[in-house]
Amino acid sequence: MASNHTATEENAKRHKVEGPKKHIIAFIFSILLTFIAFATVISGEINKDFIYIILIGLAILQVFVQMAFWMHMKDRGHTFAIIGILTGVFIASTCVIMAEYWAWW
Amino acid sequence: MAHAHTHKVKRYSGIKDWLTTVDHKKIGILYLIAGGFFFLVGGLEALLIRIQLWKPMNDFVSADTFNELLTMHGTTMIFLAAMPMLFALMNAVVPLQIGARDVAFPFVNSLGFWTFLFGGILLNVSWFAGGAPDAGWTAYAPLAGTTYSGDHGVDYYVLGLQIAGIGTLIGGINFLVTIINMRAPGMTFMRMPLFTWTAFITSALILFAFPALAVGLAALMFDRLFDGNFFDPSGGGNAVLWEHIFWIFGHPEVYILILPAFGVISEVISTFSRKRLFGYSSMVFATILIGFLGFMVWAHHMFTTGLGPVANALFSIATMLIAVPTGIKIFNWLFTMWGGSIKFTTANLFAVGFIPTFVMGGVTGVMLAAAPADFQYHDSYFVVAHFHYVIVGGLILGIFAGLHYWWPKMFGRVLNETLGKLTFWTFFIGFHLTFFIQHFLGLLGMPRRIWTYLDGLGFNEMNMISTIGAVLMGFGTIFFLLNIVTTSFKPKNASGDPWEDGRTLEWTIPSPPPEYNFAQTPLVRGYDAYWKEKMEGHSGMTPAEPIGPIHMPSPSILPFFMGLGLFIAGIGFMYAQDWGNLFDGFKLGYAIGIAGLLILFLCMFLRSVYDDHGFHIEEEEILRDKGGKA
Repeated sequence: MASNHTATEENAKRHKVEGPKKHIIAFIFSILLTFIAFATVISGEINKDFIYIILIGLAILQVFVQMAFWMHMKDRGHTFAIIGILTGVFIASTCVIMAEYWAWW
Repeated sequence: MAHAHTHKVKRYSGIKDWLTTVDHKKIGILYLIAGGFFFLVGGLEALLIRIQLWKPMNDFVSADTFNELLTMHGTTMIFLAAMPMLFALMNAVVPLQIGARDVAFPFVNSLGFWTFLFGGILLNVSWFAGGAPDAGWTAYAPLAGTTYSGDHGVDYYVLGLQIAGIGTLIGGINFLVTIINMRAPGMTFMRMPLFTWTAFITSALILFAFPALAVGLAALMFDRLFDGNFFDPSGGGNAVLWEHIFWIFGHPEVYILILPAFGVISEVISTFSRKRLFGYSSMVFATILIGFLGFMVWAHHMFTTGLGPVANALFSIATMLIAVPTGIKIFNWLFTMWGGSIKFTTANLFAVGFIPTFVMGGVTGVMLAAAPADFQYHDSYFVVAHFHYVIVGGLILGIFAGLHYWWPKMFGRVLNETLGKLTFWTFFIGFHLTFFIQHFLGLLGMPRRIWTYLDGLGFNEMNMISTIGAVLMGFGTIFFLLNIVTTSFKPKNASGDPWEDGRTLEWTIPSPPPEYNFAQTPLVRGYDAYWKEKMEGHSGMTPAEPIGPIHMPSPSILPFFMGLGLFIAGIGFMYAQDWGNLFDGFKLGYAIGIAGLLILFLCMFLRSVYDDHGFHIEEEEILRDKGGKA
């Protein structure tokens, strides 16, 4: 924050070039995914096992959208964010899986 | 002041300045005062524990009070004394070491401090509100559940730590971003001083470990306040789950504590040996490895829980593995001293005293890591001796070393060396007297967490010696306080490089630094940037930019009120069941709780909608500062 003001100006410039277009598309897309998930369950006409498959598929797509657009994982210069997220995923999944395994099975 | 974009300069003085500051150096001092205060409180609790145990069948305090003292000693020392004192050093030093003018998020930095402080105060209010938490600092379920801890003690633990934990978490995130983004030109990762490296890894550990604590505490909160059932087996919950969650946080936590101490020791030993740190890259590698392995060993706290031989063997091996990178560090420190021209200043005494003490704690750690042997040591004073060797003998000696070393940089005054050495020797001897003997108490079979013991078990003399040691440690702390007080009356005349052998960027600027730290951002040309310039005959760093107006963040009172809001919310929700109805069907406690949260959200709203662009410090003022100080 307390850097020279040139840095802030550069930041602003970069954001202007990028614009909110992609974010709006991603936002609509993620809402759409949520709506489809909701609709498949609420319709009551689809086989239960099939719903599971659809929901898992939609969830994976949703994670991709969230990570790529909102966590900026698609952008260049976000190496640290990517390393951080992957480390977090690794540590969290290890801990959750192991703790669940020993606590319940 | 001719600039077109000049904003109105906002500067407060006195108490208003301290409540609103977003300056990392002042926040560091706030952390030090608060952490130091809680250190004294925790130390007092420790002394009371030792007085109770100094003779068999003593009745100095009741069993209930003893449980409260024990729980609050552990909780206070870990969360409210050790963590904030580390944050004090990190705030005071890390931005200076990387050549930055501030941390990445000054507002968040201040928010982290105030949430920590209000969480800590909430936890300690319990002493005056009918009973402190008494389920141990680990708060194992079902003991910590409402069935066995019916009063509000553990509620204070849950909510106090939750609020303080928010502060720690955002503090950690802030330092991650600062170290990644705010380094001066030329300050590559492999040129960063080791204290900055350890602060970086510690922040990453905080980022990954504290959410686990937050989840666990939230679940325990639901159990206790809203009739949830996560951890009570009689209702289908799972008590072992709490142990897992707590130690998934709790083990990384001990590395969160010790890594910055490793960093301090590396800086101090290298400076006072007048030598480059031996094996810098292996030190960095060892730090990362310890950080990573720290997440894979939590179940070694649970060997006797009954996870089975496969789990015990796995965690046994993983735990012993940590001795390898730690051993690398120990040898690197020894080799740094080897052939150096060593100056035994107080800071260096603490650092040199740290090495054998920490090795002893590490060796008992490997002993405890052997799962079959652990069944013997478990819940005995051997464990108490072990973790006090690594936390007091490691972390606290490290913090003392760091405080003596960076005191002139933080306050502009060098601490008195005679009093400093007196502090070291009383504290160091007192420490070993207190805890070395406890290994043998444990091996003789004295269980931990007991409030008294029978005569004739062979515990009497050893407990007496341990108590004498604790009193000595108390004297050591008093000498340190005395040193602070007498030094504060001396003139503020420390030079920029008071040890004369400073190697890193913080010694290139005046002590204490101006609020913008660096009038011109320095150009870093290698590891030990300042030392390199000195060796090439330069008097200071090459600037990376011309002198120009410096953009500064505005001070803000909002973080203080956000912490206060959380505090009020905590109290309200805690007492909702006791305080009756505000009107029909709506409890007064909930109303107070919601009011507290509203204060928080209002502050967040104000922060979001009101754009504060900060202000600029103009060239004239910077030049005036430079003229006055040089």
